[in-house]
Amino acid sequence: MSSLTTDSEDDIGWKRCLVAGASAFGISALLLFAMLVLVDPYDSGRGWLGIDGVDDRNTYTSAASRARDPQFDAAIIGNSTAQPLNPADLSRATGLRFVQLYLTGGSPREQLAVLDFFLRHHPRVGALVFVTDPFWCQHRRAETRPGDFPYWIYGTNSFAYAARLMSREGIEHAFQRIAIGLDMRKRKRVDGFYSYEDVWLPGSFRDLNPPRDPAPALSAAERDFFPEIAELDAAVKKLPVDVPVVIAVPPTLATTVARSGTVAAQEREACDAALAKIVAGRPRSNFLNYRIDNAQTRDRVNFADFIHYRESLAGKIVSGVAESLRLGNAAKVAF
Amino acid sequence: MLFNDYPFLLGFLPAAILIYRFADPHPSWRIPVLVLLSAVFYAWWNPPFVALLVLSIAFNWLAALAYLRTKRASIITIAILVNLAVLAGFKYTNFISANIGLLLDRPMPQFDITLPLGISFFTFHHIMYLVDLRRGKAPSYPLGHYALYISFFPQALAGPLVRWSEVMSQFGRKVYQPGWPRDFCIGICFIAIGLFEKTFLADRIGRIIDPIYAQAAQGPLSNGDAWLALSFSFQILFDFSGYSDIAIGLGLLFGIRLPFNFNAPMRATNIQDFWQRWHITLMNFLRDYLFQPMVNTRLRFLPRRLFAVQYFGALLLTMVLCGLWHGASWTFVLWGAIHGSALVVCSLWRRYGPRLPALIGWALTVMLVIVTGVIFRAGTLEAAWNIFSGLDVAPRLERGRHLGPLFIVPLVAFLLPSSQDIIARLARKPRPWLAAMLGIGILVLLIELGEQHAYEFAYYRF
Repeated sequence: MSSLTTDSEDDIGWKRCLVAGASAFGISALLLFAMLVLVDPYDSGRGWLGIDGVDDRNTYTSAASRARDPQFDAAIIGNSTAQPLNPADLSRATGLRFVQLYLTGGSPREQLAVLDFFLRHHPRVGALVFVTDPFWCQHRRAETRPGDFPYWIYGTNSFAYAARLMSREGIEHAFQRIAIGLDMRKRKRVDGFYSYEDVWLPGSFRDLNPPRDPAPALSAAERDFFPEIAELDAAVKKLPVDVPVVIAVPPTLATTVARSGTVAAQEREACDAALAKIVAGRPRSNFLNYRIDNAQTRDRVNFADFIHYRESLAGKIVSGVAESLRLGNAAKVAF
Repeated sequence: MLFNDYPFLLGFLPAAILIYRFADPHPSWRIPVLVLLSAVFYAWWNPPFVALLVLSIAFNWLAALAYLRTKRASIITIAILVNLAVLAGFKYTNFISANIGLLLDRPMPQFDITLPLGISFFTFHHIMYLVDLRRGKAPSYPLGHYALYISFFPQALAGPLVRWSEVMSQFGRKVYQPGWPRDFCIGICFIAIGLFEKTFLADRIGRIIDPIYAQAAQGPLSNGDAWLALSFSFQILFDFSGYSDIAIGLGLLFGIRLPFNFNAPMRATNIQDFWQRWHITLMNFLRDYLFQPMVNTRLRFLPRRLFAVQYFGALLLTMVLCGLWHGASWTFVLWGAIHGSALVVCSLWRRYGPRLPALIGWALTVMLVIVTGVIFRAGTLEAAWNIFSGLDVAPRLERGRHLGPLFIVPLVAFLLPSSQDIIARLARKPRPWLAAMLGIGILVLLIELGEQHAYEFAYYRF
């Protein structure tokens, strides 16, 4: 566009200011963006500097780093109700190399996004363990607040990923990763295990976190329809037939287990049946239901709150999962 | 679309500047393009309400035309009453209904009414023009000028309240003429400072105290957090002055100088001084179109020697209505009444009392503003009482750096001059290195804005 005005000397000075401001903005934005692309703040596998790992407690953003780690061939997927399962114990018991990919408060859809990311980065999968809390049993897809979970980290669109890098969080993570690369900072535990008993000390029970059991189905047809489980089923069907899959329903305090004959119990049975169907016929696979009323689930010592069980139960679940990965549904699971 | 979100800053604004750059050489395009851009901006929030804005403009412009043809003052009176009735219908219906219910001791219906954005502001713009037209001070304007006066997007939603005489002569002027690079630099400075005030000062306090006010709405506070709630006045100061600065900056990008709205009010040494520095354009409006007519009206039943009663009564009533204008709640009425009373006391003190040291005057003023800020924010009188009664528990300061904004932001309010004074100092002469730093600062601001869900500007609600 041709100049529409006669520039005075003063205007020339102010135009230089505009150019200086715009240039500083543009150049610093470009340099910052280049740094972020090179460093790959979330270790999603798109970086160029070859720094391994993250120093990040936020499981939503840190799971990508672990999920693509080639030293693992098996994964535990779930939310905090999967967190107490120690992948090292499971690896020792099975000979596989397990990584913990729990997402704190993660919804089924978010867990499926992590599963998809794990599968994309592991052409050969040793085993998969899903810990399915009652959130999976909803008849209508759960609404999640937009922006809470960074799907863009786990997606396939690198442009969408790059577009989200320019954020304070992205910059903070980038500097953390640079510090890891320079050996000035340690990465978080590689297999992702972090016991919540470090925070919720043994011996204490909090009347918090009742299970997110589904609202009753509005019709008989709806009772057997679980959209999130259908997606999990589709994902498992895409796996090679020899990949063992274990689905475990985590224990909750016995007072929250539905009484036989109630609508809630019927709902639970329908959900369990749908989950069991996913692994039916698959070799070395099993469906394990730990949400039962027994002496252990009645004892509050075994729980931090209604849904978060302690190591005493986690050890038994690990044994049950390991036994299932060996013998499939013929496994004798003690609980 | 908010001034502090990406769709506006990275989408609408650059597009609007570019479009206007092409329109600028064509005098007949300038005003229609700005009106159109303003309509798009307004429609982004709620498209159907553009019809209300258009109707409002057409109705008032036609009323002005009819008055100029017939010289019947009743036309102006009716037009003003219609404007006020529409405002009251949207803003006060539920409040009136609820209070009638309380009086009659029976439940009254409550309606699901969405308050059109900016209705309080464009209603006052209409009133300013119509009153001045009747006073013989305002001429008639073409529809395009009038439409732009009401809808100009930088100030349509939350001010500054602009007198027609301040902007009408600027509409339609060529923007890209000698001097425009300086105006652009200053405009960008205002926008950057406004975004800083909003993002780094106001919202930082908001994140700390919003849950406290939510808790106070549920019941008493007994954990010492009530002390933190006292910082609301600093939040709203930087929220609204941030908004006003952005509006002023945006105006300059389109060749329009809007009036300043704040002048370091937390440095005021008495409450009169405070109200000459806080929301200046609203105070000017209330002074010229409410207070002065009330004071200048001769009341037959009141002897002239009791004029002071009329004067102070008008002052009190003006501030009560100022409170009610902010929202349909008794808390706003109480807030206005306290400020009105304080103005009366201050006025009497200055006439009859001893001279107070500036420091004591400043401390008393700040305390009044802080305490009444709680009433303004609380939403209900019960919630305000829950905050005040919670002050008997000492604050918990062990949260350390999380409470940093509650100490830093007041210091900024007390120590720094107004943004226009800061910018006047920065813009004495062109300094490219300073502009380069501003460019980097704007990048930091944009990154920070991306981090949070954009907080709405508080005055959008009024």
